[in-house]
Amino acid sequence: MTATKDTPVPAGATPPAPAHVGAARKRGSGWFSERLMPYLLILPALAAVLVLLGWPTIQMLGISLRQLDLRELVTGKMVWIGFKNYTDVLSDPEFWAVALRTVLFTGALVAGTLLVALLIAVLMRHLNPVLRIFVQVSLVLAWAVPVIATTTVFQWIFDQQYGILNKTLDKLGFHSFIGYSWFSTGTSTLVVIGLLVLWQAVPFVAFTLYAGLIGVPREQYEAAGIDGAGPWQTFRAVSWPAIRPILTMVTFLSMLWDFNMFAQVWAIRQGGPDGASTTLAIMQYLKGIAGSHFGSAAAIATIMLVLLLLVTGRYVQLLVRTKDGEIA
Amino acid sequence: MRKSLPARILVSVAGILVALLFLFPTYWMFTTSLKTPGDVLSPKYDLIPTSATLSNFASALTKPGFVTYLTNSLIVTLGAVLAALVVGVLAAIPLARFRFRGRKGFLLLILVAQLAPLSALFIPMYLLMRDIGLLNTLPSLLLVYFATSLPFTVWMLYGFVNGIPYDLEEAAMIDGCSRVGAFRRVTLPLLGPGLVTTSVFSFITAWNEFLFALVFMRDQSKQTLPVWLSSFKTAFSIDWGGVMAASVIYAIPAVIFFLIVQRKLVSGMTAGAVKG
Repeated sequence: MTATKDTPVPAGATPPAPAHVGAARKRGSGWFSERLMPYLLILPALAAVLVLLGWPTIQMLGISLRQLDLRELVTGKMVWIGFKNYTDVLSDPEFWAVALRTVLFTGALVAGTLLVALLIAVLMRHLNPVLRIFVQVSLVLAWAVPVIATTTVFQWIFDQQYGILNKTLDKLGFHSFIGYSWFSTGTSTLVVIGLLVLWQAVPFVAFTLYAGLIGVPREQYEAAGIDGAGPWQTFRAVSWPAIRPILTMVTFLSMLWDFNMFAQVWAIRQGGPDGASTTLAIMQYLKGIAGSHFGSAAAIATIMLVLLLLVTGRYVQLLVRTKDGEIA
Repeated sequence: MRKSLPARILVSVAGILVALLFLFPTYWMFTTSLKTPGDVLSPKYDLIPTSATLSNFASALTKPGFVTYLTNSLIVTLGAVLAALVVGVLAAIPLARFRFRGRKGFLLLILVAQLAPLSALFIPMYLLMRDIGLLNTLPSLLLVYFATSLPFTVWMLYGFVNGIPYDLEEAAMIDGCSRVGAFRRVTLPLLGPGLVTTSVFSFITAWNEFLFALVFMRDQSKQTLPVWLSSFKTAFSIDWGGVMAASVIYAIPAVIFFLIVQRKLVSGMTAGAVKG
């Protein structure tokens, strides 16, 4: 049944009820089109996904088993080399360093995004209306400013010579920050990128969680208060269950976005200094488009896909089930 | 919930801090864009601008190709958004209203299709576009952006259609509407917030995309705004005032779009993402 939390199960279905909400089947007339209709309707989407995403994915798997450099690309020669690309990539110590960095970076970003967004969502519930609008407008603005523009602003704020951060630190008496480079090490570059991503990603997650929180009936909070629950217990017992499915969804999406993120990392320092802020997405790009080793780039991409599948598999399961109403 | 005065003050202060933190970069972008080059580079700075000039905007707008890039961006973005909406609605209806063989499999495909790292698919996509002769044309970008926002669109819209009770459609059919008519007259109008929410996402995806635009479009005249913006920064001299003005110009369409749909957005997001 696709009974949702707020829609009553459609009454009036004559028993034995069909195992679906739709298709009030009139026997005979239109039965054939009734059977065929869903397939006709999903056909464009299915075709688009299979041709534009599925086929390239299969091709990517194929390319990862070939030697494909510029020469092969131009001559169109097929050189199958089996798993050599994979063994090359996996035996490269640099790959492991980058993979570990990417996983840690993604983990920190997802956790940071969810935590900050959750705090802001709860805060919004307790603010007076005027301040709440103020916070919401500031979040919407942060969200609406396009990624490349935001990235540019962050570069400007952290600029070595003229950035407001160094100017301010100098003003406050920390004169050693005159001309300090925030991009001199990989770690500090990644921290700047992390702040940038947080600033960009938090608004969406905060709004989504906030919308989930205001969906909780007030009586539930009052009841918890009457039962003598403290703020923390109330949150655990009332708010948490309400936002859990939303958290599943935004965790899943954040993982995808952060793990595969390219534009921000690339724009800040192209993975520098000396590759110290290179993530898998950047490495893949450098190998492929920039270095014309399309075979090993495809191998890296495939490994990325497998990693992501392993990490998010559980979420995919949960999401399909929740969506189908098997878990209320 | 009644709270003590200190608690209320604490919450308000926290709220103001959060708002300022999220406002600051946008604010700084805007004020920098109004400064003269001399002011931008001076060691002193004013948080509140004391003078304003529009010369940065003038120089950004008259940069060769700006209008072309803007047009390109608008074409591929709006085209992708529209295509994803139409195809997405069509696919969302049967998912929510029918039970058919392969339905679960299709749902799973929609979810997994989002996993493929975009940056990983650009080599095969590049080859695909080259083979069908679309490389270096706007339709190739439009197709890519459409494909990348489609799974998410279908997923969200499915949740929205699910949230609209089927009884309403049934009632319309009893009153003599055809199946399609019932959907068009009853469910489609109620889908408004859902369509808005999902279109915001497609819009962001396409408006922001940088990598494909950079790689697919060999000709300068086919580039889009994100690529234009990143080309402002040469290795040694950065015209920060000009870059900030360009960023403001680039952000305006997105901000306007957002402010228009903001109310519907918040209510829409949860309904689409979760319920169903």
